[in-house]
Amino acid sequence: MPPFQIYTTRRSFLAGTAAGAALSVMAFRARAQAAQEVPLAEYQPEYLSAIEYAFVMAATARLIPSDGDGPGALETRVPVFIDRELAGDFGTAADLYMEGPFNPEADPTLGTQSPLTPAGIYREGIAAFDKWCLDTHGSGFADLDAARQDASLTSLSDDEVPLDPTLREFWALLLQNAKEGYFSDPQYGGNAGMEAWVYIGFPGARANFYEWVGKDEAYPLGPVDIAGERA
Amino acid sequence: MARTDPKKDVVIIGLGWTGAILGMELAQEGLEILALERGPDRETVPDFQYPKVIDELKYGIRLGFMQKPRNSTLTIRRTLTEEAQPYRRLGSFLPGDGVGGAGIHWNGQTWRPMQIELRLKSYVEETFGPATIPDGMTIQDWGVSYDELEPYFDRFEYMAGISGKAGNIKGEIQEGGNPFESPRSREYPMPPMKQGVDAQMFAKAASAMGLHPFPRPAANASVAYTNEYGMQLGPCNYCGFCERYGCINYSKSSPQTCILDALRRMPNFSYKVNSEVLKIDLAEDGKTATGVTYFDAAAQEEVFQPADLVIVAAYALHNVHLMLLSGIGEPWDPAQQTGTTGKNYAYQMNGSTRMFFKDVAFNPFAGAGANGISIDDYAISRIDFAKEGFIGGSYITAGISNGQPIRGIALPEGTPSWGAGWKQGIGDWYGHSMSIGSHGSNMAYRDCYLDLDPTYKDRHGRALMRMTFNWKPNDIKMTQFMRARIEPIAEAMQPDSWQSSYKSDGAQYDVRPYQTTHNVGGAIMGEDPKTSALNRYLQVWGQHNVFVMGASAFPQNIQTNPTGTVGALAYWAAEAIRKDYLPNPRPLM
Amino acid sequence: MMTWLLRFFLVAAVIVAVAFAAFLFVPVQRTPAQTALAIDYAVPEGAGEYAMRLADCSACHTAENGKPFAGGRAIISPVGTIYSSNITPDVATGIGAYTLDDFRAALYDGVRPDGTHIYPAMPYENYRKISEQDIRALYQYFHDQVQPVTVERRESDLAFPFNLAWALRAWKWVALGDPGFSASSADPVQARGEYIVEGPGHCGACHTPRNALMAEAALTGADAKFLSGGLIAGWTAPPLRGEGSAVAGWSPDDIKLILASGRNAHAAINGEMQLVVRDSTQHMTDDDLTAIAAYLGTLNQGAPTRDEEAPTETETLLISADPSMDLGPRLYLDNCNACHFATGRGADEVFPELDGSSLVTAESPTGLISMILHGAALPSTAERPARLRMPDFGYRLSDDEVATLATFLRQAWTNKADLVSASAVADLRKAAQAD
Repeated sequence: MPPFQIYTTRRSFLAGTAAGAALSVMAFRARAQAAQEVPLAEYQPEYLSAIEYAFVMAATARLIPSDGDGPGALETRVPVFIDRELAGDFGTAADLYMEGPFNPEADPTLGTQSPLTPAGIYREGIAAFDKWCLDTHGSGFADLDAARQDASLTSLSDDEVPLDPTLREFWALLLQNAKEGYFSDPQYGGNAGMEAWVYIGFPGARANFYEWVGKDEAYPLGPVDIAGERA
Repeated sequence: MARTDPKKDVVIIGLGWTGAILGMELAQEGLEILALERGPDRETVPDFQYPKVIDELKYGIRLGFMQKPRNSTLTIRRTLTEEAQPYRRLGSFLPGDGVGGAGIHWNGQTWRPMQIELRLKSYVEETFGPATIPDGMTIQDWGVSYDELEPYFDRFEYMAGISGKAGNIKGEIQEGGNPFESPRSREYPMPPMKQGVDAQMFAKAASAMGLHPFPRPAANASVAYTNEYGMQLGPCNYCGFCERYGCINYSKSSPQTCILDALRRMPNFSYKVNSEVLKIDLAEDGKTATGVTYFDAAAQEEVFQPADLVIVAAYALHNVHLMLLSGIGEPWDPAQQTGTTGKNYAYQMNGSTRMFFKDVAFNPFAGAGANGISIDDYAISRIDFAKEGFIGGSYITAGISNGQPIRGIALPEGTPSWGAGWKQGIGDWYGHSMSIGSHGSNMAYRDCYLDLDPTYKDRHGRALMRMTFNWKPNDIKMTQFMRARIEPIAEAMQPDSWQSSYKSDGAQYDVRPYQTTHNVGGAIMGEDPKTSALNRYLQVWGQHNVFVMGASAFPQNIQTNPTGTVGALAYWAAEAIRKDYLPNPRPLM
Repeated sequence: MMTWLLRFFLVAAVIVAVAFAAFLFVPVQRTPAQTALAIDYAVPEGAGEYAMRLADCSACHTAENGKPFAGGRAIISPVGTIYSSNITPDVATGIGAYTLDDFRAALYDGVRPDGTHIYPAMPYENYRKISEQDIRALYQYFHDQVQPVTVERRESDLAFPFNLAWALRAWKWVALGDPGFSASSADPVQARGEYIVEGPGHCGACHTPRNALMAEAALTGADAKFLSGGLIAGWTAPPLRGEGSAVAGWSPDDIKLILASGRNAHAAINGEMQLVVRDSTQHMTDDDLTAIAAYLGTLNQGAPTRDEEAPTETETLLISADPSMDLGPRLYLDNCNACHFATGRGADEVFPELDGSSLVTAESPTGLISMILHGAALPSTAERPARLRMPDFGYRLSDDEVATLATFLRQAWTNKADLVSASAVADLRKAAQAD
């Protein structure tokens, strides 16, 4: 970021416009109302195809289900988060070292060695996994019942789905991204209404607790997000 | 070479902690100094601005303040025969980037070593016999003693502003401090931090077992503070976003909060950002450096910057990489056991026990980077190596620093990692768990070292550095020893359940999960040019106008976090340069 | 009867015409030196530059990114825009041809050598008290030590009738006090402080209220109106004595430190005064800062100190983190508490106090609203080099929220001040965007 510019004011005399060493004259960014957000089923993905998006909706709905205490992946719009991440720097591996030669079969403990970006791993991983579901359970993942979906995801996580070594990271990415979408600041498209934070009792971006250190007492105040929204 | 710039008296590579310290010290000599930082500039406002920086995804998970592997990385292998693979995504360690370096996003845990750690080899041989040192372990003495360095530890701690309670002032044990610490000349500059519920419970249990708990020393300000440069810290508000994040509150000691605005007032000091040093240029006879070559990203050209004195102050790993690329010192050959550059790379051996308490509200988000209660009863200086069968030691701490949910909500063993069971689990257990951790030493070995990779290159076409490292039986034995001491404390606290995570026999280094960014060694200091890269003043043996700062100088890793020692060594070297080197430039040893 | 009246009016008219003509054409009497100095008086080395720092000449006479003292800085006044003049020693466009008497007349009387009047944006009301030693020092500095720069003075742009020279003469006739300084105390330290404050420091130009003629309501400390608070660029320049004094209960060291560094255990300098710290007060000697602190202390004797220990209701509420709290304190926890803490007392020299803050409780809420919207930054000073910054919150808070938060602050802890309206916030936001 470039060194910050401080605006020095004109030496106003007696009266005049607002002075002071202003750092910003930015307008208030009206916060997105939840009501203004597009319903999940009507969301137009930036990266995922319609089929891929349907897969992500179905898969994340099993990873973080709606029933029981607390919101699920769908209530918190995790699929939107994942699509936006895949369309952005995360998806394109902007930060990663992507020079060859690639040895995707190297020991997993030496870290990812796939020549595919995360966006590419999703694309090919969804296709391969969906095909396996079809071959194994009779239809694509999104059309299976919940029990078979859970069984399929378990097989995936247990390395029982034969995937090309370049797709080895697929399961880990999917699970990690789902949890990121669940818990990240709502500006990224997930954690709608900060519901996940409310559920576990995390105060979000408040970031000041001097008087609460050492108090064995449940902290009662709800979260605030970076945009200033309160829950 | 696209251009050659006018000569400077001093070039400093990197503007993190040691770059800023050396910049300040040498600027006071009136020298013309240019610091070259390959990353961007960073200021508290706007870069760590509240609340924008309180963004777990951007900084905690996507690692916004860290080095991008695309720009700079290395390859890693565990053995001499394994093929090294690139560290493509950050995991095990997170090198910093930009002005301030890792000093902006550390936790602030600031310690001194045990006296014997600086002369570890002699200590082991004298106390337990030379046979105690196993084959292949290459530990060495540092060439400088703790007593010589004590005033410089004091200087760094008062400059950075450390919150703590002294345990040993000039030999007199102090109530409430660490009774086993190396003696210090005076109290800490600020009182200790406030302690969380977990630390208080741990302190109680440890005391009841006859152990000696004390507050962990913290580079998080407990009160408002002004240092020797007039720079200021504000009191920490326990925001729970310390490591990986720049501090919103001017509360974490960093080059920004402690040095840089004062350094910017020195007219003979200047710095450039987005300027990556590609190599240190040597004279034809190889006896001195003539300056450095760097890539000026703004002008998109290579620049030769001549200088009389070169201070290598980049991160430990990058220091060694530059030395290897520049032909400074002979590279370490593990088979022949010759050479010095890249030798003795070491890491940190850590482990922990986690406990779950349904009825305790830990409020983990109310945390600072470095508060916590520690015990040093099993420090390296207190272990009978002959009896226990390992060389090493560790301090043990309970100190929750954050409650960030994406980074992982600890769940009792057996809880599924996804699905209804996981969701129920996080609701039940978030805020109801704590851990007791061992932070321990890591020895140096013949086959743990750094050299240049034969295959992979960086964006400038230079060979990547290759790290060869694995866990060794000695340090695994040490961590299992600590486990056996920690688990009884955990049980005594009567949690609903607990579970442990310590390296065991045969553990292989896994680069994927974050462990620690305490990479040390590779440009080690010592008494003998045949076995070390630098002399005791951090001066390169072969090129007397090159001094290399940082934890790359550690011959093996100490049990504690490196920064305190890095800071002390920087002030120690600065004084040697000012008083002894500048009046008469030459090899000081 | 008629003829008598007619004659009366005719004579009166003639008298008025003559007086008017005199007013227009007879040159203004120039105030002579107030002290006779020795024939061979030599300005001590460095005295010129130091006097320039005391009087803060560059504040107006150096434009942003302009050459030093070459003028051209726009000064917005309620009567139009005034452009500062070139006071480098350039003969054609600066003051290179000024004699010492010319120079003194500019500072004491606000007249140029050609008899034209200088607009009182130049605070000659206060500079009238500058000592002859400092006049000599300044004259020597601006003649011998400043680089001459050739740049024509830009015409000021004042509305009728303020562009009429005789109007200024009339104004001066009424507004200007006696020239010269006389100490009200025998104590040399207090006297020195009083001199700096009344004279070259021209503190009253901002901190004294203005009367209907826009002249300073008082020019010396003997008058209680002196330094009783003013308005500058819409912000309150707080009172430095009497009710609402910003320095009530401060120690001399507190006053010294804030002038030297912009910050002390209670407050941080903000707004226009920051430029004063940057360009003037941080360069003053320790002795002079001691003197100013001593003098201001005499204006604040008997001021009550606060009870720092007793927790207030506000503090208790904030610490409780009670979800049912009002929006004001909730906004405080979500935006301000990280630095200013639940006590509202911040931290010494780093985070200013909000409880008892003259900025927070000022009559004009402009300063407070500006701080919340735009944040602020302290300049780097030798004493305290850190450019401490408060971030901006305007992007994050609606006008209603800023008003609610500002109102809360003005009534929290021991503060008592009026509420702030959302429309006041909206106006300021609009004005700032127009800047």
